[in-house]
Amino acid sequence: MSNREIEIINLEKRYPDDVLAVDGVSLHVDAGQIYGFLGPNGAGKSTTVKILTTLALPTAGTATVGGYDVVKEAGEVRRIAGVALQDVGLDPLMKSLELLTLQGRLFGAGRQEARVRAEELLRLVGLEEAKERQVGTYSGGMKRRLDLALALVHEPEILFLDEPTTGLDPVSRRDVWREVRRLNEELGMTIFLTTQYLEEADELADMISIIDKGQIVKTGSPAALKASLGKESLNLAFENRENAEAANELLAQTAERTQLDRVTLRVYRADIARAIPHIMEQLHDAGLDPVSLTLTQPTLDDVFLQVTGSAYEAEAAASQAQPGSMAVSD
Amino acid sequence: MATQTTTAGNYPDMARKGTAFYTQIILVTWQNLVTIFRRPAALIPPIAISLFFLVIYNSTLGEAASFIPSLGSNSYLGFILPLSIVSASLSGAGIAAQNLVRNIESGYFDKLLLTPIKRSALLTGTILSGAVILGLQAALVLGVAVLMGLRIETGFLGGLAVVAMAVLLGLGFAGFTMSAALGSGNAAVTQSASFVFFPLTFLAPTFVPLELLSGWLRIAAQLNPITYVLQAMRAIINVGWVWPEIMTGVLACVLLGAAMYLLTLWALRRRTKRN
Repeated sequence: MSNREIEIINLEKRYPDDVLAVDGVSLHVDAGQIYGFLGPNGAGKSTTVKILTTLALPTAGTATVGGYDVVKEAGEVRRIAGVALQDVGLDPLMKSLELLTLQGRLFGAGRQEARVRAEELLRLVGLEEAKERQVGTYSGGMKRRLDLALALVHEPEILFLDEPTTGLDPVSRRDVWREVRRLNEELGMTIFLTTQYLEEADELADMISIIDKGQIVKTGSPAALKASLGKESLNLAFENRENAEAANELLAQTAERTQLDRVTLRVYRADIARAIPHIMEQLHDAGLDPVSLTLTQPTLDDVFLQVTGSAYEAEAAASQAQPGSMAVSD
Repeated sequence: MATQTTTAGNYPDMARKGTAFYTQIILVTWQNLVTIFRRPAALIPPIAISLFFLVIYNSTLGEAASFIPSLGSNSYLGFILPLSIVSASLSGAGIAAQNLVRNIESGYFDKLLLTPIKRSALLTGTILSGAVILGLQAALVLGVAVLMGLRIETGFLGGLAVVAMAVLLGLGFAGFTMSAALGSGNAAVTQSASFVFFPLTFLAPTFVPLELLSGWLRIAAQLNPITYVLQAMRAIINVGWVWPEIMTGVLACVLLGAAMYLLTLWALRRRTKRN
């Protein structure tokens, strides 16, 4: 039995072309935790997962998965860890029942045992009806669910999910989330999840590390991260960028902090609710009436914006990839 | 997704023990064969080419039989058949390598590496699937030759021996093409690699016996392992159990196969080396 924990100390990965993909990452994942590794594309998330799952070697630092060293005890790590990588690795000519049975047998199950397990997992991920069809005919969401099932065949104690919902439609995404939560709650599986979707990290993770350019820039529970910003914010949307900038200059004098994101200005200060009438008056006098006004609790979006200072292009890029979700990328 | 639940601990040993080495080999062989037979389009042309050679060479060069010694009761067919069988071995080996490339390209190969499978089992299983395919091809070509009137001097057992030798030779070819597959991970490169041996089938006593070759071609043929395989097969088909020739042929296959197996093992190590 492993200790179900993940421990990373000063992990570094420098590629032969001198790119430093992971730059001194340290973190600790408790047994039974869902840990969210959040960051834009190219931040070093996948590289970290590859190292943790024994597919790549670190150039410096150490990492243990379930108490086993990922470099020296790779075989042990493979036995207790399950992995669903970002690129699903499925043979399109095989049927899902065959793939799952073969996987089970390679992990040591007998013919019958592997078959039963395969059927069970197919029910679990809702692919029962498609089990006799070649995987090449599956939709992206179905492939993703099958890949998740394959990662679960040997009942891993620690599960790695590299961007499990990237490219999925909202319904499939919710299905994956529900499944991840269930695996964690019912089986006590430790889950290490990378994502570029803030919403996903917020929804699932007990603990989050935000990674940017190979370094962890912030770690904490979603609630703690949001609380670190402390205040509610007043969000004012303006007709155009110029007005938003002018309003920013005006209000920055009295606010604790402001944040400009396209035409939206966020204003942070104590007793914000009471200050609203005054703020509106100031804006009106300056001819900068906002087109909308909302009051929100800080979101992870705000946290991300604060620590990386880039959300704006990110949102545009990611909303193209996945409409309707908060996302970041670079 | 369904609401079904799975319970922890149903398979307490599963994740720990892995499976026996020979089971791993059988599973990998099976996986390869299943997918190879699901792409019959890749399977048929090589067989067709082997049969085409057999028919064409037999009808165009058939008259040469008059100056080829020791054909027994056979026509030129008995002389040219081994060439056809050797080319079936070559193409069968290519099919196994193509399937390996397919697995590398789809990422399934990496997925297999994350299971407790032994790398040598992954390799051996893939080679064996090639052996099954090329054994079937060789048997088919031989069967057609029998329908065309071939009489095997050593009978049914001799036929089996010829197929077995084709398989043995094909394992060497498979090792080579699979090394290319592992080294490149690229379908086109692997395809080209299958053609490297093709000229070797002609730098040999392909159409006439070794004694009738002269000059550089004779020297090349003497260095070519395929020469000894052709001679052994011809002996079995047309003459009888001529052990010296047969054992020389087997030895040629074993040496080639062993060298290629090592090459493949090295290519696999290189591919699966973490970096």
